[in-house]
Amino acid sequence: MRDMSSTVIELRQIEKSYPGVKPLDRVDFTVRPGEVHALLGENGAGKSTLTRVIGGAVRPDAGTITYLGRTVAWKNPRQARETGIHIIHQELALFPELCVAENILVDAQPRGALGFISDKARHARAAEILAQLGVDIPTRAHIDELPLADQQMVEIAKALVGDLKLLILDEPTAVISGKEVDLLFANMRRLRGQGVGIVYISHRLEEIFEIADHVTILKDGQVVDSRPVGAMTRTEMITGMVGRQLEQIYPARRTVAPSGDTVLSIRGLAAGPRVRDVSLDVRPGEIVGVAGMVGSGRTEVAEAVFGMRGIDSGTIELDGKPLGDHRPRAAIDRGVGFLTENRKDEGLFLNLPISSNIVAPDLGRVTRRGLVDRSREREIARRQIADFAVATPSPEVKVGSLSGGNQQKVLFSRWSRISDRLLILDEPTRGVDIGAKVEIYRLIRKLADSGVGVLMISSELPEVVGLSDRVVVMAQGHVVGEVPGEALSEEAIMALAVKTVDRRNAAARLGEVA
Amino acid sequence: MAPLEATLPKSRKSVSMAAIFERFGLAIFLGVLLVAAALLSPTFLRPANLVNVLTIAAPLGMVVVGQAFVIMVRGLDLSVASLMATVAVLATAFKATSNDAIPVIFIAAIVLSALVGFVNGWLVAKRNVSPFLATLAMMIILQGVRFAYTGGAPISTLPPGMSFLASGRIWGIPVNLMTLAVMAVVLSIVLHRSRLGREIFMVGSNPKAAFLNGIAPDRVTIACYVICSVCAGIGGLFLLGYVGTVSNWVGQGYELDSIVAAVMGGVALSGGRGTILGALLGVAVLVVINNLVLLLGFPIEMQLIIKGIIIVGAAAFYRTRLV
Amino acid sequence: MSALLMDLRRNRLMMSYLIVGGLILLILVAGGVLSDRFLTWRNVTNVLQQLIVLGLVSLGQTFVVLMGGIDLAIGSLVSAVTVFLANFLDWRPDLVWLAVPLALAAAATVGAVNGILTVVLRVHPLIVTLGMSSVIFGGTLMYRKEPGGSIPRALEDIAYRNVGGIPVSAIVLVVVFAIAGLWLQRTRAGRNIYFVGGDAEAARLNGLAVGRITVMAYALSGLCAGIAGLFLTARTGVGDPRIGAALTLQSITPVVVGGTILAGGRGGVFGTFLGVLLVTMLNSLLNFVGVSSYYQWIIQGVIIIVAVGFHTVRRT
Repeated sequence: MRDMSSTVIELRQIEKSYPGVKPLDRVDFTVRPGEVHALLGENGAGKSTLTRVIGGAVRPDAGTITYLGRTVAWKNPRQARETGIHIIHQELALFPELCVAENILVDAQPRGALGFISDKARHARAAEILAQLGVDIPTRAHIDELPLADQQMVEIAKALVGDLKLLILDEPTAVISGKEVDLLFANMRRLRGQGVGIVYISHRLEEIFEIADHVTILKDGQVVDSRPVGAMTRTEMITGMVGRQLEQIYPARRTVAPSGDTVLSIRGLAAGPRVRDVSLDVRPGEIVGVAGMVGSGRTEVAEAVFGMRGIDSGTIELDGKPLGDHRPRAAIDRGVGFLTENRKDEGLFLNLPISSNIVAPDLGRVTRRGLVDRSREREIARRQIADFAVATPSPEVKVGSLSGGNQQKVLFSRWSRISDRLLILDEPTRGVDIGAKVEIYRLIRKLADSGVGVLMISSELPEVVGLSDRVVVMAQGHVVGEVPGEALSEEAIMALAVKTVDRRNAAARLGEVA
Repeated sequence: MAPLEATLPKSRKSVSMAAIFERFGLAIFLGVLLVAAALLSPTFLRPANLVNVLTIAAPLGMVVVGQAFVIMVRGLDLSVASLMATVAVLATAFKATSNDAIPVIFIAAIVLSALVGFVNGWLVAKRNVSPFLATLAMMIILQGVRFAYTGGAPISTLPPGMSFLASGRIWGIPVNLMTLAVMAVVLSIVLHRSRLGREIFMVGSNPKAAFLNGIAPDRVTIACYVICSVCAGIGGLFLLGYVGTVSNWVGQGYELDSIVAAVMGGVALSGGRGTILGALLGVAVLVVINNLVLLLGFPIEMQLIIKGIIIVGAAAFYRTRLV
Repeated sequence: MSALLMDLRRNRLMMSYLIVGGLILLILVAGGVLSDRFLTWRNVTNVLQQLIVLGLVSLGQTFVVLMGGIDLAIGSLVSAVTVFLANFLDWRPDLVWLAVPLALAAAATVGAVNGILTVVLRVHPLIVTLGMSSVIFGGTLMYRKEPGGSIPRALEDIAYRNVGGIPVSAIVLVVVFAIAGLWLQRTRAGRNIYFVGGDAEAARLNGLAVGRITVMAYALSGLCAGIAGLFLTARTGVGDPRIGAALTLQSITPVVVGGTILAGGRGGVFGTFLGVLLVTMLNSLLNFVGVSSYYQWIIQGVIIIVAVGFHTVRRT
């Protein structure tokens, strides 16, 4: 069984400072073999720095690291990897145009007779490892042809190439859901049974209760709590992370049914391979949650509404009139906003000031005679910063230097400014710590209460259940059901989300990518 | 390390220090350079020399302010020098000897330049060709076209007024410098104050996000390439009157010099960053150093070596600041 | 569906090889038809002899581009090598056995310096190699402004000697390309170049020594410039500081035609080899037919655009 006297890795009194910040302040962290150790904390609490210290990318200013009984001080990530530590980052470290086999083996590709890499041997070895994980992914496929869930499996397969002793997973379920999470957890349990130590970083408390044995909570660089999972409650976890009692995470659901004509009306929408037949309504003042597995087509529906992708058939009407012109500009001009799921790549202008980011969709209104009215822009920005509680000294600060939660608030303020009629949110609190999450939930509710229709896509079921007035569930490009507010529960949603989904094998999954 | 530090909020104090250095670093460097030049060579500050320097700098400056626009949207324009020469050849194609032809020449030059810029921009924006290759191809094509026309030989049928453009003065100030000043002011207003300019910054900073905010990145990109080419075309007109005959190689080397000057001036190759003033300061630095090398009696080849070192040094300087 | 997609991606590269190969054949046929001297052994030998210089600089460029960079100093480095060799051998013609390795080592070292500057200063390779090009050119000019120097007969031979009717330089070219291709596809160091070119950050996260791999690619490019310079000196008999100036930009076309995209991580030397063949033979044909070099330039520009358009994946 579990050997309590030995440890895989033991960090003691680790300290790390950068100019102006101290991400790690006398941190103790221990992982035992065959243990899933969850690491909880708000963004900026120090989790990623700690991960980098364990991984050898960052050297601590003080403290000791004992690995497998020996004191170590790695100079670079390579040294850590060679001793059996493998980190799976949130941004997968894969090579999109190379094949799966090469991505798994990287520079450990097997050689043939003449000392040259053997094509046959490398594919055989890669297939062997994938079989261990219980996945069926063709080793000759290129990474950019695979769905995200499979890509993550490839990433995990990499960990099994060498002699794995310690595996660190950084928010692995951010981009997968349902069956894929089950598979991931099954593999984690298998590795745990083999004596591998696992560090699991996630914001999703339900998962921690499901898979973790032990949990450590970081706040502002310090360990505030470290206990077996069984000895903690959800409330205690949240309190530990936030540092205060949070009476209520989600604002009260709307009790009065929304009145007035529908804001958004979609009928029989088909748009590309991911959207087959979708019909849904959003009324003013409603928060309609859209739930479903990754790949069910939710984001694509949003993109179709916002004019980012073409429609094959069906209608999309805003306030009773069709949304013509397929460009985001047209949607914006009619009062529709879209907060996409990928804020760094698709949302923010990182090197531009907050003010520019806020007025971005609406330049026309701050332009006079062809020139941008800077003072008006600043005025708008100041008001938004105040209304949305963005933590910053001035509107001219470059948005790239803000924390994830504040960046999301800037984006939220941008879109709610121009969304008179409809605001579409895609994973609105991804990568946002619990403190900022609560604020954002309030902001969403407030916006809806002012008469705007909100369409919220989210893979975080508690969020969907907690915030939505009703939930539309999608699977494989179809709307498979709707759950009204009174009947909302995670089970009800999941039951619908898995209803028509078969045992999808890898080949079929690949087919969906096209 | 580096990427991690970038995600942590910087302390207020270090932000302002870096910001100050970034904004004024080049101006300070130029100032130091000018002082050093004055000390090292008595001839430097002589009006004749200064005017000479400025006259050489002007056409390059015209090209650079245009190039800055293209670099701002993550592009490059390698065809500018070739375009300058082609414009020069076009000017002579009119075989005009009277100054009445000058306005026509100007219009023809601008039309040709705009066309070239449009093609460049179209290839980059709509066909996804890398700017390096698209403008490289354009450079070679223009070269072929003008050599085919001239048969490789220099020509010299120009209206006498053209040389006035290159080296004439009004109230003691060189005409080309005045034109550059006007261009710089106008383009600065466009880039830093107009809506188009704001869209340019956004497209350069994050093209996908720009699209999602209702901006048309393709149109903005094409506009930048057109601006760049028109500036280069104008620069070509001002350059050709400088020499007696028009060779097929007018403006040679300007494409790389313009990129160097812009980068030195803080216009980042990654896009979305920079100022017109900075680009002009970059030109000033380049030109002053070249002049200094000559005045100090160093072999002209030294210019090349020093230029090379400065290119790399300046880029390194900005790189370490911008992390 | 998915299988087709996978093959289409790889097929695009294969397709381009087929197209380029077809074009080469077309040129041969056209040449034979349009001119009775095109397909003569003499002309073929002539063309084969010319391949090596462009071929080697394109190979060098391929290493660097595959890794996600670019080498704009390669041309000036070639010139520098010719000047070095011709002047050294003018002084001591008996020391060929020393001069050649020395020149190659020096060229590789200069290439490595390019790589080191890119890595250490974290400056874009475009700027670094541009700057170095200027420095190298200036330095070479300071040493020797005009073409000059001389080489011993022994060196001339490698340019003009034939083995079994085939020029030595062509054999060397094929051998070098073959070794390069094998190295890139089937050795750890070679695959590393693809990794870094595919995604440098991912490579770093996977524990690869990105800095060292970068320097290696530029050093190889420098080495190729050295060999090219060697053959160029052998052919012309002198060292000329300006002779390589055009080579830098010329080296890009075969790389692009061959399917190695500027972003890196995709493509290979076989494509470059085909590209070199195509460009050289096309030029030869056009010369024979009397098309002025001015129109050839236009054609080359168009080829670049078409090739890139073909290989660029359009993102919706």
